[in-house]
Amino acid sequence: MTTDTVTVTGLRAVYGTGTRRVTALDGVTTSFASGTFTAVMGPSGSGKSTLLHCAAGLDRPTEGSVTIDGTRLDDLDEDELTRLRRDRIGFVFQAFNLVSTLTAAQNVELPSRLARRRPPAGDVTAALDAVGLADRAGHRPSELSGGEQQRVAVARALITRPAVVFADEPTGALDSASSRQVLRLLRALVDDHGQTVVMVTHDPAAAAYADRVLLLADGRVVDELTGGITAAAVAARIAEREIVAESSC
Amino acid sequence: MLSVRRSASAFVAVAIGVTLVAAATLLLASGRPQVPDRLARAAVVVQSPEAGASADQFVPTRPWSATAAAGLVGRLSGLPDVVAAVPDRTFYAQPLVDGRPSAADSGREDAHQGHGWSSAQLGGLRLTAGEPPRRAGEVVVDRALGLRVGAPVTVLTAVGPEPYTVTGLVDGPGVHVADEVAAALAPGVRAIGLVLAPGADPERVAMAARGVVGGDGRVLTGAARGVLEPPGDARTRWIGMQVLTATAALAGFVTVFVVSSTFAFTLAQRRRELGLLRAVGATGRQVRRMVGAEALAVGASAGLVGLLLGAALAPVLGRLLVDVGYEPSTFRVRYELWPVAVSLAAGPVIAVLAVWSASRRAARVRPLEALREAAVEQRPIGRLRAATGTLLLATGVALSVGTATADEARVAAQYALYAVMALVAGATVLAPVVVGPLVRLLRSPVRRPGGAIGMLVRGGALTATRRTAAIAAPVLLTVAFAVLVSGMVRTTSAAYAAGRADNVNAGWIVVPDRAPGLSDRAVAATGGTALLPTTVYRTDPATPPKDRPLTALGVEPEGFAAANRVLTVVAGSLDDLTGADTVVVTASANLLPSEPYPVVFADGTSVSLRVVAVVTDTSIPGDLLVPRAVVRAHDPSALTSTVYVRDRIDPPVGARILDVPAWAAEADAAEDRLIWLFTLLLIGVSAGYGAIAVANTLLLAAAGRAADLRLIRMAGATRRQVIWLVTAESALVVLIGALLGGAVAFVGLLSVRAGLAEQVGAPVDLMVPWPVVAGVVGLCLLLAVLSSVLPTWRLLRHRPARSPVGG
Repeated sequence: MTTDTVTVTGLRAVYGTGTRRVTALDGVTTSFASGTFTAVMGPSGSGKSTLLHCAAGLDRPTEGSVTIDGTRLDDLDEDELTRLRRDRIGFVFQAFNLVSTLTAAQNVELPSRLARRRPPAGDVTAALDAVGLADRAGHRPSELSGGEQQRVAVARALITRPAVVFADEPTGALDSASSRQVLRLLRALVDDHGQTVVMVTHDPAAAAYADRVLLLADGRVVDELTGGITAAAVAARIAEREIVAESSC
Repeated sequence: MLSVRRSASAFVAVAIGVTLVAAATLLLASGRPQVPDRLARAAVVVQSPEAGASADQFVPTRPWSATAAAGLVGRLSGLPDVVAAVPDRTFYAQPLVDGRPSAADSGREDAHQGHGWSSAQLGGLRLTAGEPPRRAGEVVVDRALGLRVGAPVTVLTAVGPEPYTVTGLVDGPGVHVADEVAAALAPGVRAIGLVLAPGADPERVAMAARGVVGGDGRVLTGAARGVLEPPGDARTRWIGMQVLTATAALAGFVTVFVVSSTFAFTLAQRRRELGLLRAVGATGRQVRRMVGAEALAVGASAGLVGLLLGAALAPVLGRLLVDVGYEPSTFRVRYELWPVAVSLAAGPVIAVLAVWSASRRAARVRPLEALREAAVEQRPIGRLRAATGTLLLATGVALSVGTATADEARVAAQYALYAVMALVAGATVLAPVVVGPLVRLLRSPVRRPGGAIGMLVRGGALTATRRTAAIAAPVLLTVAFAVLVSGMVRTTSAAYAAGRADNVNAGWIVVPDRAPGLSDRAVAATGGTALLPTTVYRTDPATPPKDRPLTALGVEPEGFAAANRVLTVVAGSLDDLTGADTVVVTASANLLPSEPYPVVFADGTSVSLRVVAVVTDTSIPGDLLVPRAVVRAHDPSALTSTVYVRDRIDPPVGARILDVPAWAAEADAAEDRLIWLFTLLLIGVSAGYGAIAVANTLLLAAAGRAADLRLIRMAGATRRQVIWLVTAESALVVLIGALLGGAVAFVGLLSVRAGLAEQVGAPVDLMVPWPVVAGVVGLCLLLAVLSSVLPTWRLLRHRPARSPVGG
């Protein structure tokens, strides 16, 4: 029996006031089990990114609570939240993942350095090796391709052995070959290292790498797929949802 | 995290700032009083008691009377190891060469000073030819004058031109006469020099001398004898000190200002990177410390470079200061420890101060910012910032009013500087609020038919108001400084000149020409109304400073009353100012006619005067009026400063004649010239620095704009359009800065004018030296356009399509 690494309960996120009021999340309750790969999908404005930001402690929800690895985020102040992110959470963003003035290796060891730990040199090399970039450790981001930059980000997410890795459209800016490489890496994190991965994407092909797909619309979880996920199945389910949505109007 | 390219602009800004600070402090430390050559051989000098505090700190000490001096000399010569105790007498004596004062030495104060021959041994002067003066009418002069032994020479004294015979020549400035002649010309003694036996310890002799003198004087040894330098040199040195202090303060301020805007700017550009750091686990404090450490490293290295440059620059500047008249000709640059230490510390301190607010903002960057567009930062300024800005502006306005009402022009210039600093800082803090409305206001000139460029320029300026404000800040600083300082100085001197001309009721005015004053015979030749100023010392038991120096004017009451339009008698009658013991005081003395008024005159004698009249404070250009004959009796070397005459006459030797407006404009001409030079120096420092900062920020901005411009290119803009866009953008920013700076300056100038009008009692015209303003704005515009167009042009040589974006 697996335990839940991340639990969100009754999440509501409201931005703006008056007529410009936007409800990004409208009561989301779900959990992400340890050692699983979850894809969060939905059309633009469905709240998938907000869910990820709130679950990762990058943003605070208006209502509801988030628990990561047994710690309730709403009890933490900004510095405690930062330390939690540093120690327990890994990130891969769509772009601009790396500090441009640091080499790949320095970027990988950055979170540990910020926590005043010096990671054993072997760990950094191993992490870069795991993403197939051991030979590019000394290169700066500008000397790396987009796919390589994302793989460095995956290596960085890996090195602190976090409780969960959040990925926000990690393949959004990549060509399909690079995308596949990055997704295989994320998959390998789960299979080989027992990592927990939560990924936001709008690409059914990317979602097919996950164990479970959450479909969001208008700030609510509207559907969920598990087991034997294929791109075609995901795409079909999305299309179905859209037809339902349109006919209900 | 340090990147060379990113830190370069902050480095340059700090280095230039520290260069200025180092040069200014080195010069400041070098500006110590020099022991006059004339007294170099007197290891111990006893000086007469210091005068009490006064507005003008360059008054001579209260002299001993001839009797008191003789008594002291007798007792001092009796001390062990003292070979001779020589009373040093100084009086006005100017040799005429070819019937005119020598032009070559008119700048040196000691060239027109006379002394008794015995003083020569205090400076180790030896005759190069001839014999010492022994009788009245004999004189020893400087060999440099080109006179021969036995030749006749005319010497100008306070009485008038006197015929003398040259009996000897020496290698030093000034004239020497027989001791008895000197004693008659300068009965009061202000210094007694002690010549010691070889090998004697000056400190031990000084101890013994202190025992003899007691409270009636100060015993000086070593470098402390520097206070005996001519008061004129001390004055020049003081002006130099003010200039250097102001320059150092300004340099420090401008550096902190420019460096902080540079840091704010680089950090704003690194927002996304900072957000990423926050996302992967950097706490706010870690970000702040990182930014601080970067600043410290940049500051320390730039400080070192600045120090070396400043040290190299100091001697050049020193020579310049002497040439211009801010330092006496005896000035030499000395490399002392403290300026070096100050400059070494200045770099890091400036950098850390400058980065302080930016680092606080950097630490507040939310982790999510890594995911957002960096340029869009629309937060209106915070309440704390608004309060700070308002407070600074208020302080600035208060100081501007203080400027206008300060008594002395030079003090006013100092106030002005701090006023501008406060106003500029306030305006910069509040600038982001004003940028939006201002850009909308300026819309029409930027809009062109079908104006995509106008739209882009406006959009850019409006979306990133903070960025726009940050780039405009150095322009604001530069323009505000130039307009406010130059306008303030011009307006003030014009107002004072107008006030002076108003007060005088005479056709023409006779003033000294290449001489410190007019002699009695010259005054008699003009037949006008003369002012014969002398310094008297008053010890009032009621008001503390002992021996308070006062300016007493020797006048003929009738003529003086006729020539002075503002004379208002409060009590008594000016006609009673005839007896040897009569005095007219001003209302602030708080006395009534017939009350006693004891003073010490320049000959050291104490006289109890009797008040015969009281006039208002603004009635007379001094503190007291006494009969002219009284001044002459007590101060044989007093010189007339001004003579009012009704009709134009031929001026006597050593004098010139001016009409009233010319005199009023010229009265402080020498001082005004120094102040104007000072002003230009300050404007030069701030404008030069501001211009560099403008270029600096725009170069940075251009680098940050690369991605945007590429996008605009891809959207179909031609190269020319992009260049035009960039030009228009930088011109808009300069315009915003210039307008804000001008507005700040205008507020300041208006308060100055209000204060002045009240003080002068007449409406005052605002004077703004437009060429200076135009030059400063033009310089900013030129540099701004160049520094944004050049990098853009380089960028555009590549094709717009695929090239790696940033990092």
